[in-house]
Amino acid sequence: MPAHALFRDEDLRFDVDVDPLIDALRQVLPEEGLIVHEAGLRAYECDGLAPYKQLPRLVVVPETIEQVQTVLRLCHEAGVPVVTRGSGTSLSGGSLPHPQGVLLAMGKFNRIREIDHHRRIARVEPGVRNLAITEAAAPYGLYYAPDPSSQIACSIGGNVGENAGGVHCLKYGLTVHNVLAVKVITMEGELTTIGSESLDSPGLDLLALMHGSEGMLGVIVEVTVKLLPNPLTKQVLMASFADVESGGHAVAGLIARGIIPGGLEMMDGAAIQAAEDFVQAGYDTDAAAILICELDGSEAEVADQLKAVDECLRDHGATRIQVAADDEEKARFWAGRKAAFPAVGRISPDYYCMDGTIPRKQLAYVLRRISEISAAEALETVNVFHAGDGNLHPLILFDGNQPGQLEAAERVGSAILQLCVEVGGTVTGEHGVGVEKINEMCVQFAGAEIEQFHGIKAAFDEKGLLNPGKAIPTLNRCAEFGRLHVHNGELPHPELERL
Amino acid sequence: MTGTDQSEALRERVADAAEQGEALSITGSGSKHFYGNPVQGSALDIRAHRGIISYEPTELVLTARAGTPIVEIEEALTAEGQRLAFEPPQFNGGGTLGGVVAAGLAGPRRPYGGAVRDMVLGLRLINGRGELMRFGGEVMKNVAGYDVARLNTGALGTLGVITEVSLKVLPAPAARVTLEVEADPTQCHDLSEQWLRNGRPLSGMIHDGERLYARFEGTTSAVDDAVAAIDGKALEPAAADAFWQSIRDQRHAFFAGDEEPLWRISLPPASDPTVYGERFLIDWSGQQLWLRGHPEPHNLRARAAAEGGSATLFRGRIDGVDAFPPLDAVQARLHRNIKKAFDPHGILNPGRLYPDAEVS
Amino acid sequence: MQTHLADFIKDSAAGQEADAILRKCTHCGFCLANCPTYRLLGDELDSPRGRIYQIKQVLEGEAPTESIQLHLDRCLTCRACETTCPSGVEYGRLADLGREIVEEQVPRRGLQRWVRTGLRTVLPRPRLFGTLLTMGRLTRPLVPGPLRKKIRPRRPAPAWPSPSTHSRFVLMLEGCVQPALEPPINPQTARLMDELGIAVKRTTEVSCCGAIDQHLGASEAAKARIRSNIDAWWPHIEAGAEAIVVNASGCGAQVKDYGHLLADDPDYAEKAARVTALAIDPIELLERHADQLAPADDAPRRVAFQTPCTLQHAQKLNGRVDALMARIGFDMTPVPDAHICCGSAGTYSVLQPKMAEQLRTQKLENLNTGEPQVIATANIGCLTHLDEASEIPVRHWLELIKVA
Ligand SMILES: Cc1cc2nc3c(=O)[nH]c(=O)nc-3n(C[C@H](O)[C@H](O)[C@@H](O)COP(=O)(O)OP(=O)(O)OC[C@H]3O[C@@H](n4cnc5c(N)ncnc54)[C@H](O)[C@@H]3O)c2cc1C
Ligand SMILES: Cc1cc2nc3c(=O)[nH]c(=O)nc-3n(C[C@H](O)[C@H](O)[C@H](O)COP(=O)(O)OP(=O)(O)OC[C@H]3O[C@@H](n4cnc5c(N)ncnc54)[C@H](O)[C@@H]3O)c2cc1C
Ligand code: SF4
Ligand code: SF4
Repeated sequence: MPAHALFRDEDLRFDVDVDPLIDALRQVLPEEGLIVHEAGLRAYECDGLAPYKQLPRLVVVPETIEQVQTVLRLCHEAGVPVVTRGSGTSLSGGSLPHPQGVLLAMGKFNRIREIDHHRRIARVEPGVRNLAITEAAAPYGLYYAPDPSSQIACSIGGNVGENAGGVHCLKYGLTVHNVLAVKVITMEGELTTIGSESLDSPGLDLLALMHGSEGMLGVIVEVTVKLLPNPLTKQVLMASFADVESGGHAVAGLIARGIIPGGLEMMDGAAIQAAEDFVQAGYDTDAAAILICELDGSEAEVADQLKAVDECLRDHGATRIQVAADDEEKARFWAGRKAAFPAVGRISPDYYCMDGTIPRKQLAYVLRRISEISAAEALETVNVFHAGDGNLHPLILFDGNQPGQLEAAERVGSAILQLCVEVGGTVTGEHGVGVEKINEMCVQFAGAEIEQFHGIKAAFDEKGLLNPGKAIPTLNRCAEFGRLHVHNGELPHPELERL
Repeated sequence: MTGTDQSEALRERVADAAEQGEALSITGSGSKHFYGNPVQGSALDIRAHRGIISYEPTELVLTARAGTPIVEIEEALTAEGQRLAFEPPQFNGGGTLGGVVAAGLAGPRRPYGGAVRDMVLGLRLINGRGELMRFGGEVMKNVAGYDVARLNTGALGTLGVITEVSLKVLPAPAARVTLEVEADPTQCHDLSEQWLRNGRPLSGMIHDGERLYARFEGTTSAVDDAVAAIDGKALEPAAADAFWQSIRDQRHAFFAGDEEPLWRISLPPASDPTVYGERFLIDWSGQQLWLRGHPEPHNLRARAAAEGGSATLFRGRIDGVDAFPPLDAVQARLHRNIKKAFDPHGILNPGRLYPDAEVS
Repeated sequence: MQTHLADFIKDSAAGQEADAILRKCTHCGFCLANCPTYRLLGDELDSPRGRIYQIKQVLEGEAPTESIQLHLDRCLTCRACETTCPSGVEYGRLADLGREIVEEQVPRRGLQRWVRTGLRTVLPRPRLFGTLLTMGRLTRPLVPGPLRKKIRPRRPAPAWPSPSTHSRFVLMLEGCVQPALEPPINPQTARLMDELGIAVKRTTEVSCCGAIDQHLGASEAAKARIRSNIDAWWPHIEAGAEAIVVNASGCGAQVKDYGHLLADDPDYAEKAARVTALAIDPIELLERHADQLAPADDAPRRVAFQTPCTLQHAQKLNGRVDALMARIGFDMTPVPDAHICCGSAGTYSVLQPKMAEQLRTQKLENLNTGEPQVIATANIGCLTHLDEASEIPVRHWLELIKVA
């Protein structure tokens, strides 16, 4: 189990008798839509952050919007917490159940309602997998742009919940930039459509607010996304560097030349080795860092950019540049990066994936500090990096069956996140706070900000029933964590140079 | 860099107002009282709080104080070959960064380059309790806490006084051209789709009722290819730039005269923009329609809503007609609650967005 | 994932294998994407990750329940999850083990028990099955529910090739239900081989590969059958058989697993490994002779190929048959979601008729996307299951080709 308590006393204030609720739910849900026996609950006790486990009181698996409305209304009346779950791939414990509550599993909401290729819009249920949208749009030469590495499995509802990103988001944006509207049910059970098929809608930007809200403001029951035309051509190239720093400079160099690649990923030596052993992508295992760069657009654009990129990378000391000869090689170059997590899973019994974002210029310093921090706990760390947008994924290797190692990995993780804040970054770029980084939120935000977050939460969910104990720490927690020392934006270590 | 930090003075002013229950009307360049609903309140001028705080082109991030004139920002960006993708209106050069973000209005490039909110990475804000807070950050990706920065984009200052904004900036393309094309107003969507799917770097499309104007911005070869492939007449570069500026800043002849209301209708793709009235200007490949005249407001709004769009009374107030279309009951309640959470005393621009929700 | 296996299994070979498999699973959920039952039911309990978790509980000492049994029963053992898993989790092995323990501890009731025992008794015995099928054909209207549709009219078979003098020879698994259900397939396989200069040595004492027992949780019975098959083949292997051709991919997957299944049997481990090494699907042999092959004279040319799970997920031979058929002149039509099970899954279509039918409906829709004239497949189970509902004929792909 993790080193800190998952839920605190104030998160556990919902001690109600759920038997009447169960009886009422039985009336509205399909036969297998209500799970109360322990063996069934057990399979829902964790998400993609498997060491964090918690049995819910019950699991409901509704089939229709009306059923979701009734479930929420009944829970609201009874004062029972509700945690929404999509595909359960969250890496921050976003869909970790609440011990006193209902886990609302949206797996049956998996139908694509409409692909309007003429208007380039898809309307889907929230449980539809990210990749399934692109597959359904493919016959029309269209795709859905945000592509988290988990896209094969993660649901679009969960993507909105976490504002998921992918390897193409520097150029094509995060989930928030690609969703046009969401149908939401409030904790009271009321249905409303936020956003529209137009480019803007009246009123406050509640659509943006729903993104990354980690299931704490409402339950999403339909998502409308925009689709993009497939790029006419793509080219992928891979550059080797003798040290991470020159790789970082090369990225800055590309941007200085006005090039925004479709994808720009960096891996450090250990990651290169692990990926190469796993998928034989043809990576340069002598390199200290490699940069994978994808250019897309019309033939002419890609040709122009390829020349400029090649020049720029050489100027910045690339020791080797390989341009993919054909589609197969393009796929192979990417395969290694996309398989980096599982590849690491094969060399280490467990790994713990972090998700900080930093100003890119701090890369070399941050990587050096990360290796020092891990060394102090006698652990190893492997780094993959969305280089274009500064989103760092250090994978801390450990063995969960060895006593104390999980706790050590958590200490390393926490120190890395605090480091990200120190250099002017954030504790989470795309995986969300969940229950995992909730203490580090106290480092990034001051009391007034945290109170403001609670105010927003209460505006949607007065009783605080949706996903309690996640994403936003209580001030008590921060006080106990002893780290509420970022006041009025004054960060620790003022001597550090920032943006 | 340049400028002065007035945030503490602003914060004190707001804190005092909160204590007194004194309504504040936040003003940037202070010239545009036409947009939104009228506000009664003492002016809170933020223009003195200005200056670019940091700008590092290779990080693609610029941070500046809210009172910084938008022209100053654009100059700094141009010097580095970069720009704001959303092409903000900069009427007479007076507009401030805070105003741009608070108004959330974007120019002709919006459908192809992104909205104001798409580029807002973080901001500092004084809420209605006089607390100065920081949300979001200076990095591209950040999902720590609710997205208060985007929530305040377009909130017209009803939730807080923006004191500082970090924006994502992008490289300016190497080449651009504007083509004048013979086409019917109803063809905007189809042409736009055809070009985009052929990889043409479309970055603006206007139909003035007579002719269609299409702007392409990208690498030299991509722009050359577009010119070669599309049947149209290229405008002189200077004339082209002046044309797009006149649209952006509403100095085009279509916008002249204050006597007639100006409606802005936001439409889903492929709607027929010609059914709303006689005198219109089509922007955003048909997704933004500017309309002059005196349509019956209620019918106009109902018609736009039925199509999945919305109609805003942009200029020219009409008695009994709110600037913005009404919200459904659930969202009206959420608005009220959010306003309370940020501004419990209702002192910040009360009534600017939704009088019902904001004036207690 | 962290594991704490219970004492009853911790130190056994099976326990250690299970532990190693569980440790590899990172709970990432990728496998949910391609699991037919999760796609239909949307419940974690009917997903690979959920099943792994339920099996883990049992291995960690919790008493298995009817609920776990139900969710394991619903699993098709199609192993699409294995193909999808980036971490190399061998779900199939874990499921076998889980089923065995659950089967021991959770007794089957009433009709369910009767049907399962019935399947295990009848199917693996070709003569008994053949007799019952003949009786069934005569008494079709009297046979109950899901079984009735399984009774197919008999199609005439070509003659077996006459005994040849070829120096090259292979063995062939003729299978238990296949000869009775679809008589042409075995002689047709033998004829193709013969015309390519390879004799087929028939071993009629070998019938069932053991998969039926195996997947119904009776692994000891399966092992006994496997040992007797090995005994029957062994003299021919020693005499130089160059391969064991298995033209039903389900059986092929099982024979290819003999080595693993008997790895701990001191008397058979080595022989079983040799059998595994020799076992091939016909495609592995025929693609080496592609130049000599052509579409059969009467075969329609627009073909949709249904890739059996056992061919793609178990034997990992995805795309090979399609490629060969396209190369020799067939017009292969596109098949969306080709990686999803058709619902046949051995005895599954009898035991879980509702799910099987839903999956079949989807599969046929996908197969018909490109308006083919015929559906080709490589496994007897899929063939009969699809044929029951298909408007166009379903054939083993070997029936559609000839040696030119
Ligand atoms: C087509 C078009 C034409 C336009 N024409 C004109 C015009 O003729 N004249 C004109 O002045 N503007 C015009 N605008 C609007 C203007 O260009 C921009 O919205 C913008 O530059 C406003 O900046 P400002 O500094 O003037 O802000 P203001 O107009 O002073 O403020 C806009 C809104 O934002 C709020 N606000 C301002 N600063 C802050 C802050 N720091 N924190 C919180 N809230 C704040 C204000 O209270 C107000 O609600 C036009 C916009 C468009 C799209
Ligand atoms: C191997 C691996 C790689 C990953 N790579 C990436 C990556 O590249 N980029 C990235 O951004 N993420 C990545 N992730 C993280 C994860 O996949 C994403 O966060 C994803 O968006 C979660 O989707 P989900 O459907 O699994 O949601 P869940 O995990 O089920 O839920 C996530 C959150 O959203 C809420 N939620 C879910 N559905 C709804 C709904 N219908 N209404 C309201 N709230 C809802 C939940 O309450 C929870 O807070 C990765 C995960 C794994 C395991
Ligand atoms: S894909 Fe593999 S590692 Fe991931 S949950 Fe499924 S079995 Fe486990
Ligand atoms: S074997 Fe098939 S049905 Fe069973 S869990 Fe795996 S994918 Fe699902």
